[in-house]
Amino acid sequence: MSSNKYFKHEGPWSDSNDPLMCSDTGDWRTKRPVVDKDKCIFCGFCAIYCPIQVMEMVEESCFSPDLDFCKGCGICAKECPKNAISMMPEGDFKK
Amino acid sequence: MITKAQKKSQIKVITGNAAAAIAAKLARPDVVAAYPITPQTEVIEQISQFHANGEMDCELITVEGENSAMNAVMAASLAGGRVFTATSSWGLVFMYDAILAAAGARAPIVMVNVNRETPGIIAVSSGQQDMISTRDAGWIFLIAEDCQEVMDLVLQAYRLAEDYDIQVPVMVHYDGFYLSYLSEGVDVPFQEDVDRFLSVLKTQPERTKLVPGGRLGCGSHGILGGYLELRHKHVSAMERAKAKFEQIDKEYEGIFGRSYGGLVEEYRMDDADVVLVGSGSMCGTIKSVIDEKREEGVKAGLLKMRMYRPFPSEAMIKALKGKKAIGVVDRSLCFGFKGGPIYTELKAFETQLGGSKMISFIDGIANTDITKINVANMIDTTCDLAAGKTVREVTWVSYPEAQKEGGL
Amino acid sequence: MTQKKKDNLTKVMDYLKYEDPFSKGVAFCPGCGLELLLRFIPQVMGNDIVITGTPSCSAPVLLGQNNQSWHKLSYFGTLMTGAAANATGLARYYRKAGIKNTVVCFNGDGTAADIGFGNLSGAAERNEPFIYICYDNEGYMNTGIQKSGTTPFGATTTTTPFGSASKGKNLRRMNLALKMAMHKIPYAATATLSDLDDLAKKLLKAKEAKKRGFAFLHVFAPCTTGWGFAPENTIEICRRAVKTNYFPLWEAENGKIRMTKTVKKPKPVSTYTELIKKFAHLSEEDLQILQDDVDYEYCMLGGLSLLEGECRLPASLED
Repeated sequence: MSSNKYFKHEGPWSDSNDPLMCSDTGDWRTKRPVVDKDKCIFCGFCAIYCPIQVMEMVEESCFSPDLDFCKGCGICAKECPKNAISMMPEGDFKK
Repeated sequence: MITKAQKKSQIKVITGNAAAAIAAKLARPDVVAAYPITPQTEVIEQISQFHANGEMDCELITVEGENSAMNAVMAASLAGGRVFTATSSWGLVFMYDAILAAAGARAPIVMVNVNRETPGIIAVSSGQQDMISTRDAGWIFLIAEDCQEVMDLVLQAYRLAEDYDIQVPVMVHYDGFYLSYLSEGVDVPFQEDVDRFLSVLKTQPERTKLVPGGRLGCGSHGILGGYLELRHKHVSAMERAKAKFEQIDKEYEGIFGRSYGGLVEEYRMDDADVVLVGSGSMCGTIKSVIDEKREEGVKAGLLKMRMYRPFPSEAMIKALKGKKAIGVVDRSLCFGFKGGPIYTELKAFETQLGGSKMISFIDGIANTDITKINVANMIDTTCDLAAGKTVREVTWVSYPEAQKEGGL
Repeated sequence: MTQKKKDNLTKVMDYLKYEDPFSKGVAFCPGCGLELLLRFIPQVMGNDIVITGTPSCSAPVLLGQNNQSWHKLSYFGTLMTGAAANATGLARYYRKAGIKNTVVCFNGDGTAADIGFGNLSGAAERNEPFIYICYDNEGYMNTGIQKSGTTPFGATTTTTPFGSASKGKNLRRMNLALKMAMHKIPYAATATLSDLDDLAKKLLKAKEAKKRGFAFLHVFAPCTTGWGFAPENTIEICRRAVKTNYFPLWEAENGKIRMTKTVKKPKPVSTYTELIKKFAHLSEEDLQILQDDVDYEYCMLGGLSLLEGECRLPASLED
């Protein structure tokens, strides 16, 4: 008799009622986006263009990346019309 | 006088293709997708007419190729629908990738394949080479002998494919030209009886279905053990299909009054010394020659394969064990082997046959008729084998040139 | 202060009505255009879409691994050969069973323009009720950057490499979206990631058009790894593709073409190619060939869109 160790079903079905798979993509980052709150005009371009959609609203006045998953691509910094986001070497933050 | 209530069916003179189309209609599929190809075309023409007449309430998809036919019914099946499609030959191999995918996804599709050659030398002619080209796809294969059995097998195929314990696609094969265009009397069951026969499926647990917003996905990668687990589940379901099909055959008899014996049909096998193993339309001819040979005192019998995948080895061993000699008639080739495909496969069980000797006959490929004379020759050769004479292991019955010196 | 800031918020946000159904950490390259598109679609169209995906860069994320999933959408993993036929089967069964559905057949350009074009065309001809989205990264990126039918002239790929006897791809690209519009389907459109409001509108229009039949979206989605550009440039490349008319934005209802964005003074195509390594080897003469092809396609499109007022739709299709 076959087991249901890997699949709950007869066929190749995956089930997202279980917790989703997730990779620590934050570990990939070599540069970190740092947002200058004073320069931020809350236009949201960084958030809409972020491929992984990890720019989170902070108090409805600024955006901040979820560093657990931000891959550090730099699109947010590039697309920010006010140059409010700088890409800083990740090494600067690790001690 | 027989009232309608007492009648089990109505007799109509129809072709094998029409029998397949009417059986499909009786099964009430949700989605039918198909593409024309000789000699299957009449099946979809008839279904299209049923649909146009409002007699068949299905989504009819007139696809742009067989590959799309299989892909469409696979997806519709996994979404929860009852599906039907039909093809032949090149069409079957044009949908080959989708045939493999459908089996792996365990989509309970029912398809008829009207057997036709698939060589590089173009041949619009009968032969089981298309079936052989797809035998390892993970489908259940059933083979019909006549138009009546086409009708019966299509209906039985739905019970088998969609059974909760099985969930494997089923292909019903019948010989192109010989059966596809042959008109003969067929008992056409009444709709309410078919509904009753298939209603058993509604009492079973629901199979997994792809539903919008259902948070389930079909087509997951089988990673490491997951792949092995799914393959083992599939192989196990194929094994279960044997007993299930026997049971379905019995239930079918209960409702419609016809039984074929399940996986194999045994014809005059009880006291037979020599046996021909055959499949499909050739079996009618073989049966009549056996009757004649019996009058001459030759104890011949026929073992007809109704199921080819899974290979019904247990049933075949049980029926063949202790027979003096067995001749296996193949309507196809097994390139790389001298003997035919069914012969080669049965050879794997030779040690369990209690000393029965085996030989291979190749006949009926590319529309050559398996005539009564051919069958009589096969029986004679098998009798020679039983008598201890030296005979060729492989005989191309309609091509004596193959037997010339230096040949196979 | 806060209120004033809120007024600045891009209107694109208004289109993002539903949650992002994907896991936060999925293994697309940094700066991947496909990832942005994949996350954008269900936020605009809803999480109850059924998405189909082929073997491609999208497959490792769209398809699960054993019982586990990277997202909450219902999906069907298709073969590249039959993607549109699979979507057809789903949409037709749901229609028969009376199940409300939005089937999104999501494929790369390799499936849409090459190996799966036959059944894409067949589904469009039959006006099947689903949405087909092609994300165009101009080649087979997942298998390691090979040429496809939409790879442009001059681009190097691993099957059209640059060498003494080769300038990269020595053929012009096909115009997939225009071919699809010529099927006279209810809706066909091009879109890209720099113009997300335009993309969102088109997604919603496609969802509406699906009630009348087939909808096709061709979305230009650059590949940082395959094309050779800095990950932060993904959106800028899309923008320049539009501003040079390399990838014009238009839509067609029942085959009637309308530009959704016109560029008043198109920039030379070199302002687009200069950001991308796959074009780095091209001489000025080579770039002119690419420019001529871009101009030719745009002229053809412009001509067709001018006919908008002159071609009368069959009365049955008039609103």
